[in-house]
Amino acid sequence: MSAPAVTMDVRRLGHGVPVIDIKGDVTAACEPVLMSAYEAAGGGKAPWLLLNFGGLDYMNSGGIGMLVTLLVRAKRQRQHLAAYGLSEHYREIFELTRLDEAIAIYDSEQAALSAAR
Amino acid sequence: MTHVARPMPRRLDSFTLASEAGNERPALDRVARSVAGLGLPAPRVDRLKTAVAEAIMNAIEHGNGNRPEIPVEVEVTQDGDQVIVAITDQGGEAAGKAAAGGDAAINAAEPDLFKKLEGAEGPRGWGLFLIRNMVDAVHVMTDGQRHTIWLAMRTGGAADAGHV
Repeated sequence: MSAPAVTMDVRRLGHGVPVIDIKGDVTAACEPVLMSAYEAAGGGKAPWLLLNFGGLDYMNSGGIGMLVTLLVRAKRQRQHLAAYGLSEHYREIFELTRLDEAIAIYDSEQAALSAAR
Repeated sequence: MTHVARPMPRRLDSFTLASEAGNERPALDRVARSVAGLGLPAPRVDRLKTAVAEAIMNAIEHGNGNRPEIPVEVEVTQDGDQVIVAITDQGGEAAGKAAAGGDAAINAAEPDLFKKLEGAEGPRGWGLFLIRNMVDAVHVMTDGQRHTIWLAMRTGGAADAGHV
């Protein structure tokens, strides 16, 4: 499998809410990158984890599967996931797959942070 | 009755790619370029790109077994008010069973997110579901070793389920 064309950097917002900034292609190949970012964000310790998809170029079914794996981990820790920055196309895919029922979707970082605080 | 001759299908592009993971990425951009100017609204181009990417991934992985020396063939055609993308691998019946076993398999694949979250299903298995929901029609055919999936999208109007 080719090297993932993605970066996932972790920031802390107000009240220590972690956010992972996703830039590039989200495919099955980037699962180690996501899981490293998840650990850097505190793993399941934070009650909320925000995913910033503002830099997303491409996501395929393998990437969706990877998000499901992340959701399983978060669910075990009773952690809430929230997403923002999704394009209309990927919002539609979140709706089709019902990911939007498991990951709260917001229009902006501020809106997601308000929900998480 | 007056008969109006239907225009012949017009090939917009045709190419092959090596069966290596990740090769769907440049291919879907090439398909998008080939349909530029046909009047497909941007959201429908995005949907076509997603379906093409998933079909190519299946062809690479399930059809050609990730063997780079076996090419995936991609052909983009305009036929009346439809764009048709045909993706062919050499997996024959084996590919059909593993990835897209004819139209029945295309229509049967129905992943359930909440079963996946409970562990009753694996986290993957979204490809055929995405293909089916992204384009207006899908048709699969196997001829000997050749296994082809046709993805059709009308250049105008809303999507609905159907077959090429």
